[in-house]
Amino acid sequence: MATKRTMTLNLTDAEMSVVEDFSARKDMSKTAVLRQALRLYQLLEARVEKGDKLYVENEATKDKAEIMMV
Amino acid sequence: MSENGLRVTLLDTATGEPREAELLSSITEKQLTDVEGEWKPALYDRFREFNRAGKPPTEWPGTENKHWDWRQKVEKLQGLLSHDGYCLTCQGMTEGLMLIDTSSYRCRLPENEKRNLVYIDYVESAPWNRPELEQVPRYRGIGSILVGAAIERSIAEEFKGRIGLHALPQAEPFYSATCGMSDLGRDDTKQGLRYYEMTAAQAEAFIAKGNNR
Repeated sequence: MATKRTMTLNLTDAEMSVVEDFSARKDMSKTAVLRQALRLYQLLEARVEKGDKLYVENEATKDKAEIMMV
Repeated sequence: MSENGLRVTLLDTATGEPREAELLSSITEKQLTDVEGEWKPALYDRFREFNRAGKPPTEWPGTENKHWDWRQKVEKLQGLLSHDGYCLTCQGMTEGLMLIDTSSYRCRLPENEKRNLVYIDYVESAPWNRPELEQVPRYRGIGSILVGAAIERSIAEEFKGRIGLHALPQAEPFYSATCGMSDLGRDDTKQGLRYYEMTAAQAEAFIAKGNNR
């Protein structure tokens, strides 16, 4: 793995609460959660930049909804 | 593992001696050139032999992934944090390649449902190391080392060693018997390939077996 660098992240209570909730639910540290979030964000941005559209599908009903990335 | 590589050992089947190899967390131009200049010709040499022996193409082993274009795969994922490449080299030659995805997939086993895992997108050994193509493969241990690298990466990402993959038919016994992964059956969304998943406990058992796989 590449060398790691440190940064200070200022979050609101609500934002930190979401990070802590993910951390608990996924049994991962807050750093690992944010690293995952960054990867996913970059992946989605790359697809949208290419002109792809993002959809979520309900597995049971097969209903699809487009996610708008701004 | 550092970017400079990790020293690992392959078994040279001709001599029975161990051979020092290197595992790197990257796929460079050198690997792509080896695939195009050495792997592909070696694969098609085997196909030519099968053809000359009168074997119908439907019975040729090793055809399932003959269309894989590693250059295209690597270039498509260049710069994405969600994907990484690994290579295994020995005596200056690329002997194995693997592409992993650390973001897009979730566990399917009920005990870990929706937890993160490292998904092995593609893994391949050089044709001369593949038992379905060679009566005496040149090196043994490539698949195990690459699966081990995926497990180590999963641990580093705090996924506890959980990994998953869809296996080509000829590799199914390797993932079930050698790796001890759970077989979750055919997946019609992935050309009917069988899906295999490794839990944290199975990953621990795989690592504990070491060279006795």
